[in-house]
Amino acid sequence: MNSSRKHVDLRAARLLTLDTEPYLSCAECFDRMDEYVEALLADPAYDDERMRTHLTACPACAEEAQSLMLLVAEDQSTTP
Amino acid sequence: MTLRGPDVHVRSAPAGTRWPEPADWVTALSLPGPEQEEALRSLHTLMLRASHHQVRRMRSALHDLGEDRIVELANEAADDAMMAVLAKLPTFEGRSRFTTWAYKFAIFQCATAVRQYEWQHRDVELDDAVPQVASAPSPDDLAEAGDLASAVCDAMMHVLTPHQRRVTVALLVDEVPIDVLADRLGTTRNALYKTLHDARKRLRAQLVASGHLPAVGPGRP
Repeated sequence: MNSSRKHVDLRAARLLTLDTEPYLSCAECFDRMDEYVEALLADPAYDDERMRTHLTACPACAEEAQSLMLLVAEDQSTTP
Repeated sequence: MTLRGPDVHVRSAPAGTRWPEPADWVTALSLPGPEQEEALRSLHTLMLRASHHQVRRMRSALHDLGEDRIVELANEAADDAMMAVLAKLPTFEGRSRFTTWAYKFAIFQCATAVRQYEWQHRDVELDDAVPQVASAPSPDDLAEAGDLASAVCDAMMHVLTPHQRRVTVALLVDEVPIDVLADRLGTTRNALYKTLHDARKRLRAQLVASGHLPAVGPGRP
């Protein structure tokens, strides 16, 4: 086994057993991301369970959603 | 640099330049004429803004890359994103602002490009062996870590297919980004996430059965 392989610690164990129901694919997450981000910016209490669950379980989509939210928030704060 | 839009050539705008935005982006980008050229310039400015924003967020992944090459990477991602937006233009339904919808393409292209760059010289192990339990967890979770991690490794051996083991270990133990793994395996981010979802479902069921995880009913929060 290559030494670069990490071992299963508590964090990995939790990630491996994360409850990812209800299912949402990465493509569906991308399709809905713009709408989700605007809804969250308009109302921080807004919830979409499928999006929330997917973003908790998929670091790549989560990074992109967070980045989009910051960019749109920046635009909104500079829009006259 | 020259970008080719639908039937027109448009020179790119310098990063940071703001152009007047059309009231109806889809029409402005679709109908040939001066308004389309201006809309294409504005769109490219949006793409540059989002891709440079994304590169700044992931700067640490590009620590060995010179500033010129970083700018080039962001610009290439902006160009690719512009093509993606124009190809998907008929699918824009107006459920969000056009700018928000368009930004996500540039963020996606740029984030993917950065992750691919970060991993381009790194090997991805793709064997189906079950990884070992970490021997030195932090003191505060010593007991829980040992027990749960052992149970998870055991379950991985017994309830996952070799393919599910390869994917879960690469993504969640070795922390290979999902788009990098998709590229190496010749598959898609979607397919890998589905494999991961199914594997997690099997692991959870096994750990609930063994008493390591609480059973969750249909009325779960």
